[in-house]
Amino acid sequence: MSKSHGSMAELITSFCRFVRTEGLSAGIKETVDALEVARLIGIDDRELLKTGLRAVLCSSKEEWDRFEELFWLFWREVDRSAKRQPAVHTEQTQEQSKGSAVSLIGTGGSGQEKEEGGRLVLGGSKTDRLKKADFSQVSQDDQADLEKIAAQLLKRMSLRVSRRLKIMTAGKQIDLRRTIRRNIHHGGDLMDLSFKGRKLQQSRMVIVLDISGSMNPYSLFLLRFAYALQKHFKKVNTFLFSTRLSDITTLLRTRDLRQTLRALSHESAGWSGGTQIGESLHEFNQLHARRLLTRDTIFIILSDGWDTGEPEALAAELGAIKARVRKLIWLNPLLGMQEYQPVTRGMSAALPHIDVFAPAHNLESLLELERHLER
Amino acid sequence: MTPPTLAKGKQITDVQDVVRGFEHLGYITDPALATVIFLGVKLGKPVLLEGHAGLGKTEVGKVLASFLGTRLIRLQCYEGLDVNSAVYEWNYQKQLLAIKIEEATSQSIEEKEKHIFSREFLMERPLLQAIQAEEISPVLLVDEVDRADEAFEAFLLELLSDFQISIPELGTIRARHIPFVILTSNRSRELSDALKRRCLYHWIEYPSLEKELQIVTARLPGIEEELGRQVVSFVQAARKLHLSKAPGVAETLDWAQALMSLGRHTLDANSAEATLGCLSKSVEDAAKIKAAGLEALISEAR
Repeated sequence: MSKSHGSMAELITSFCRFVRTEGLSAGIKETVDALEVARLIGIDDRELLKTGLRAVLCSSKEEWDRFEELFWLFWREVDRSAKRQPAVHTEQTQEQSKGSAVSLIGTGGSGQEKEEGGRLVLGGSKTDRLKKADFSQVSQDDQADLEKIAAQLLKRMSLRVSRRLKIMTAGKQIDLRRTIRRNIHHGGDLMDLSFKGRKLQQSRMVIVLDISGSMNPYSLFLLRFAYALQKHFKKVNTFLFSTRLSDITTLLRTRDLRQTLRALSHESAGWSGGTQIGESLHEFNQLHARRLLTRDTIFIILSDGWDTGEPEALAAELGAIKARVRKLIWLNPLLGMQEYQPVTRGMSAALPHIDVFAPAHNLESLLELERHLER
Repeated sequence: MTPPTLAKGKQITDVQDVVRGFEHLGYITDPALATVIFLGVKLGKPVLLEGHAGLGKTEVGKVLASFLGTRLIRLQCYEGLDVNSAVYEWNYQKQLLAIKIEEATSQSIEEKEKHIFSREFLMERPLLQAIQAEEISPVLLVDEVDRADEAFEAFLLELLSDFQISIPELGTIRARHIPFVILTSNRSRELSDALKRRCLYHWIEYPSLEKELQIVTARLPGIEEELGRQVVSFVQAARKLHLSKAPGVAETLDWAQALMSLGRHTLDANSAEATLGCLSKSVEDAAKIKAAGLEALISEAR
């Protein structure tokens, strides 16, 4: 009796270890919960077991979708090795199934790079080089490293931004409870007032990215920037445009950023024709401005300013946006080039409405944006 | 930790009990959802239901309370929800009046303070109510927890671990019967990992055609078969149209009811256009549906 009990515990624990290497968060606590569930509903009905374990080991829709595959991968192997040895030699069967289950763990993960304690360790000079490398010119080999550095640095930046926002507690509101307490001996007259800090207000952010032809690699990188900031801004809405506008805010709430970026770059490759900045901003103003642009919104647009539409139209739309937001930031990767002057009609028409005109051609310039994000 | 207390005589032995019990109350579950509810009840773990609007997440809490024969305590979350609205608040006006009234009495300051900060002046909000059940565990429904902020989530997490609340003036109040907890989220923002891992997670997806038809028939017993089928097929097709807000099951039921009250037995383009507001909640969505062709969507449904 205890033997079968023991093997069930071993199987469940191995399974939890397996899914952990596949990226699901299945620590000790989750393993204990999984054992509780298995004890309650048994492991014989695989379909039922899958539902039960899924509820414990997953905590998002993305993990939920992956779980199906992982579950059957593990448990079919268990069933297969159980069949190999007939039930007479039960001890050996358990060893077999444990063995094959354990071997699956080795196949988990896709690490090609050497990872120390789960964090990528690159040489200092390589990091610097990659920070300065123009996004459109990063080699295939460097792409993966650049992504990892970007993720680390952007995360740190967004933490700094949020911490800074938390410290600002100017303004006072009366704390009734403490005030009453302090004034009992005054017989109820509120002589001494107690105050409490003001509730934190977080900014909203709207990011509009030009994804036509040459802008593509820059935009895809700025998406990482948007993704990193989602956590610490009240709301980040992201749009893509070339000839038309596309709202990708919900898409960007994914756990698997890399896959989403790949999908987006595939999709945008199909967009052809000249960029219509003015048109797209017009569409934005018609459909989304009322809902999204508030006094505390920071509006960021990334584009090289090559517009096939009328510069007056672009200026008008931009003016309408500027009137409603706190800050309008225009990022132009061409600014990264030393010889660049904003002489195109589109860009020069836009300039008067822009608060911050900055480059965004490499990781370094993106990180510089940090100081424009505070109050 | 001791599991929650069921009502006397209430027995739940397997997942089928949950399926049947819920169906009896007009809520159609599927094996996965029923399993999660079963586990939540038996193991005393909170259940997190995530999914788009209008798919019956809140309903689960209400139906669960009826199924278990216990009280439902509901906390509707919103941005800025704080301890005062969620847990407890002191009745300041009453306290000030009491102080004034007692001004003349000979009690000491300490005695007056003790009286002012006693249960008499405490206004209990949902979370505090949830842990003070006398006989059996209630169902605590924390609705749209994604609308509250991180500070509130941290507090909720602590509550779900210890099921006790500390009120500085009164001491610590511990739950005698820990509640059954259902959390719902529309996924408008990511919940903290710690909170999600504390719960049993379930994602509620849009139902299949058969399931949605089952739901419509269960909730609107008087509906004609033809109309029901057409309505459900239309909505299933509309969901594929990339609307900014896809219609949920709640919208399907509203629409079916609207058509029934107009005396319709089948679906036609005119009625559909007149009642389109039940399905699409914005000008752009209505335009998209019309652009796809009402006639086309209806004939697909035949």
